[in-house]
Amino acid sequence: MSSGYTVRNLAVRVGGRTIVDDISFTLAPGEIVALAGASGAGKSMSAMTPFGLSAGVASGSALLDGVELVGLPEPDLSRIRADKIGFVFQQPLTALTPHRTVRQHLQEAAMQAGGAKPGKTAMVAMLDAVGLSRPEERLAQYPHRLSGGERQRVLIAAALAHGPRYLVADEPVSALDAALRGEIMALLVRLCRDRGMAMLLVSHDLAGIEHHADHLLLLDQGKVAESGAAGQIAMAPATDYGKRLMAATPRLSEPLHALPETGEPLLEVEGAHVHFPKPGWRRGRIDAVVDASLALAKGETLAIVGGSGSGKSTLGRAIAGLGPMASGTIRWKGDELPPRRHRSAEHRRLIQPVFQDPLASLDPRWNVADIIMEPVKWLVPEGHRHGRAEDLLEEVGLPCDFANRKPAALSGGQAQRVAIARALAANPHMLLLDEATSALDPLVADGVVALFGRLQRERGLSLLFITHDLALARRTAHRIAVMEAGRIVECASREELFANPQAEATKRLITASA
Amino acid sequence: MKPALIIVALIASAALLVPLLLPYDHISIDWNSVRAGLFTDGHLLGTDDLGRDRLARLLVGTRVTLSVALAAALVALVIGVAWGAIAGWVGGRTDEFMMRIVDGLYALPFMFVVILLMVVFGRSILLVFLGIGFVEWLTMARVVRGQVIALKQRPFILAAEAAGSPARATLLRHILPNVAGVAVAYLMLTVPHVVMIESFLSFLGLGVQEPLTSLGILVNEGSEEMDMNPAALLLPGGVLVLLIACLTIAGERFRDRLVDAAK
Repeated sequence: MSSGYTVRNLAVRVGGRTIVDDISFTLAPGEIVALAGASGAGKSMSAMTPFGLSAGVASGSALLDGVELVGLPEPDLSRIRADKIGFVFQQPLTALTPHRTVRQHLQEAAMQAGGAKPGKTAMVAMLDAVGLSRPEERLAQYPHRLSGGERQRVLIAAALAHGPRYLVADEPVSALDAALRGEIMALLVRLCRDRGMAMLLVSHDLAGIEHHADHLLLLDQGKVAESGAAGQIAMAPATDYGKRLMAATPRLSEPLHALPETGEPLLEVEGAHVHFPKPGWRRGRIDAVVDASLALAKGETLAIVGGSGSGKSTLGRAIAGLGPMASGTIRWKGDELPPRRHRSAEHRRLIQPVFQDPLASLDPRWNVADIIMEPVKWLVPEGHRHGRAEDLLEEVGLPCDFANRKPAALSGGQAQRVAIARALAANPHMLLLDEATSALDPLVADGVVALFGRLQRERGLSLLFITHDLALARRTAHRIAVMEAGRIVECASREELFANPQAEATKRLITASA
Repeated sequence: MKPALIIVALIASAALLVPLLLPYDHISIDWNSVRAGLFTDGHLLGTDDLGRDRLARLLVGTRVTLSVALAAALVALVIGVAWGAIAGWVGGRTDEFMMRIVDGLYALPFMFVVILLMVVFGRSILLVFLGIGFVEWLTMARVVRGQVIALKQRPFILAAEAAGSPARATLLRHILPNVAGVAVAYLMLTVPHVVMIESFLSFLGLGVQEPLTSLGILVNEGSEEMDMNPAALLLPGGVLVLLIACLTIAGERFRDRLVDAAK
């Protein structure tokens, strides 16, 4: 009986449609194989269907330690899953049962293959192995007491509790903060190497996996576009798809491309503070932004980088007049901009936002033309309205006949382009891009980033680029401001920031993104 | 949803149109045939103990019940949507204050209020409308408020602010159209509830007044003679059950469809 996991000509059908076609790979004991590709490429389907964990129906062959999984009845599959395989899923927030403690999760996981109930020392050792601090205390805690990263560590501990030979990890770090991703990925890899476990890794983030996986498969629309040693593909992709995918993934190691020239100073923020009352009946306040100062010139891109909860979006909204600001001044060409409720149409016109979730930022009941022209109606005086929705659609690279569509008929990338067209409609001088590409697929996001570059050159726009992705900031921004716990801890040109990082937070981010 | 709606439409149009074709109305007394059985002397469903045509009374009763339900549900819709939308949109202390009023009204025993109204102002069909609508809007207000608060946090509302849309325009053009589906779904579930309340009030003798009739009154009358003439109870009772069931099914299907569409 040969050990290892061998997939030959795997196809997956869902409701009569073939989602995955003709996929083959081998996962030897102790090896790490990664399935990568854009969303909808069939990565998760190929990984999960042979184990009976998706809505799809598999055909072809998937041999696990000599046992054919395709066509195996569910009770047998269930026993194989419990015996040999650990699973780590994307959503650490929802993958733990809220009313059960960490101890109960670990016990259930360890006993699934008929193992004995683990003792306290064993469970503490499990949590210790995944790098959780104070493991004894953790055992009695409920999931809501843990942060996202801690929950993912608990999930990994639970996946390993029964000592599986294989680990299937479906986007294990995508829902985590940028600074945590590298750490958790390194933990998974170390656990595999230490225990001689094989791992099947599913991820859309090429930069995050290429150094960890041994073997890499690039999937495109359910087919293998490219397959080979991970380092090889990352260095020199052979296919067109591989090249595009690699080019679309920003890396800290890539050469810097020239950015457009910048002009006179436009925006100046001095000593901005934002705080919110604590939720519920508790007294006190949360300081979301503390003493933030920054400046932006015409045609310049300033990236604000930081982990979630660092206050970068709150600061951006305060600047655009879309959120509260307790104190501080915002000047536009030397004139002070009034606070949120007192901004005139002319003030609002200057700075227009693009948000993270493209579909949620379009009113589902309006059609695209009305959505795009909404700012014109309120912000542009009558007599000056000459733009048409169709021209704006063309400018953001969408066909004119999209004007009559409803947002539900748009893909994520198309919806984001509509949101960009809306932001351009009132002819602004600056765009606030609040994680504007992070909800999109790598290829689509790359297209949107290129669109921002083009708009900046053509219209002389200033961009405030809020992102968690340091490599993306390095690729697009003249200067980068790093935020942590509400403060701007460092702000420097991109060359200087990487050559000579000053703040601890910057160094940590650079290490995590490398 | 379709078959249920068709049954409701059939019942409603029968209640509206068929009395026009009948030789008897629901008030006049046929002295020649009092307590007639089914299919006698042109009385398809016979007559009651005062010699009034049962079919005419059943149809008019259905008409009254349905119109009370529709009117009361509309009252609930208008007050509830306005109240809930303002509370949810303005938020803060205004919201607290408005919703505490709703909580306070919830705490009043409904029957007690209705009886008090009847005693003070006398029995009238208008009062039945108002009394029921007055109670039903409370839940509508809560449902709408919750929806508005959820919508308020969606990015497209922030985008509307960035587009310079004044608060009132955002409420009217972005929030309310997106609440409409839920409000209509809830309205469709309110109607059968009101049908039940109205019938209950009429059964107790607190609803509409004789000689006008409603399904509740007919059920009440029928229950007194059910040992001799079960049809007198079963017919109005059957129409009532059919109406409530079909309206509820249609309302729930509509709500489910909205939930699916939102996914």
